Amino acid sequence: MNLSAKHRFDMLALAALVLGAAWIAITAPAPQELDAARAEPAQGFLAPDFTLGTLSGETLSLADQRGKAVLVNFWASWCAPCRAEMPAMQRVYEKYRDQGFIILAINLANQDGRAGAQAFVDEFGLTFPILLDVDGQVSAAYRLRSLPSSYFIDRNGVIQEVVLGGPMAEALILTRVEQLLGASQ
Amino acid sequence: MFPVAQVGGLAVQVPGLILLAGIWLGIYLSERSLQASKRSQSLNVGDLVFVSLLAGLGGARLGYLIRFPAAFAQSPISVISLNPDLLDPLIGLFTAAIAAVIYGQRKGLLLFPTLDALTPLFAVFTVSWHLSQLASGAGYGLPSDLPWAISLLGANRHPTQIYDALAALAILVFIWRKPRRRLPGETFLIFVSLAAGARLFLDAFDAAAPVLANGWRISQAAAWLILISSFLVLRRFRFQGE
Repeated sequence: MNLSAKHRFDMLALAALVLGAAWIAITAPAPQELDAARAEPAQGFLAPDFTLGTLSGETLSLADQRGKAVLVNFWASWCAPCRAEMPAMQRVYEKYRDQGFIILAINLANQDGRAGAQAFVDEFGLTFPILLDVDGQVSAAYRLRSLPSSYFIDRNGVIQEVVLGGPMAEALILTRVEQLLGASQ
Repeated sequence: MFPVAQVGGLAVQVPGLILLAGIWLGIYLSERSLQASKRSQSLNVGDLVFVSLLAGLGGARLGYLIRFPAAFAQSPISVISLNPDLLDPLIGLFTAAIAAVIYGQRKGLLLFPTLDALTPLFAVFTVSWHLSQLASGAGYGLPSDLPWAISLLGANRHPTQIYDALAALAILVFIWRKPRRRLPGETFLIFVSLAAGARLFLDAFDAAAPVLANGWRISQAAAWLILISSFLVLRRFRFQGE
């Protein structure tokens, strides 16, 4: 059978489309393949849990914040972008703390020192919990590569957004927090 | 993953840097291709890309502002923030496309020859997009025991970003080779068909792709529809007289 170029094109195209549709159906993932129930410091995964002491002498764990919208922020007093974004974080915290929002600001205490962290908090009048990562284990668990680093976590403990570097614009913090608070309503 | 590089006191976003390099190389290859084909020189690829990027960034910021006006009312300075997270990508793409069309009309450019001239840029950008995903850890693959699986996010996984980058590179080489005489628009359509085919096949290994209610990956379904469209248009181009 001597097929014209047009017919050959039609047959090849049809074969490609049929095989393509079959491939899509065959390779559709089972629900457990996409299950991101493991804890990883990445969007779509459960945020790795931690328990740290605070500047005020308490102990806080991330797991205890389940049910709240959480912003985990890694910072140090010598970090200029951290200094730049803290006032905006404080304003957003004051606006939404009564709606179930909390900021856990983790200071790299192994580099900073308690006194440096306290002076920073006093300078900016921060009222959200300041946690001290004394041995650097939480930073390692979150594979910290830059300061600041921020993780927006929803009420189910799943990381919805990771922001590496800064400073974060206040509008960014506001919109992300509103999305976190609104998503579960 | 290599999302950030510390250069002295600066934290440089590696994925963004890769994308910028891709745009630069794509413009260079598109202009070289244009010169080699001895086609009309009225198209300045760099100018077109610059206009489109500028319009796209402005449109993306405006789109985000329209979606969240209260946030910007509370913090007006955020309008000029350098945060890329304050951009709406879909609106940005739309405004970039509109700006490109307006620029093209003003310069008297024909659509299909222009798309052909820009195809190397699209191909290189696709390669750089996947490499930037490798740097950021986005688009990660399904768990795998294959010898070439990479350790990422707590498991050994298909290196889908590398699969995608290699496929995009192969498409670039295919597009770049000296072809038999092609009709205007044919190079672009061949690129679209190959890129859609690659997407349809390789996204089967993607763990991060969103899915429809029936479990099918949205990206694969979209690629299949794009493949149909490009086949139909290619068929019309090639067999117009029949």
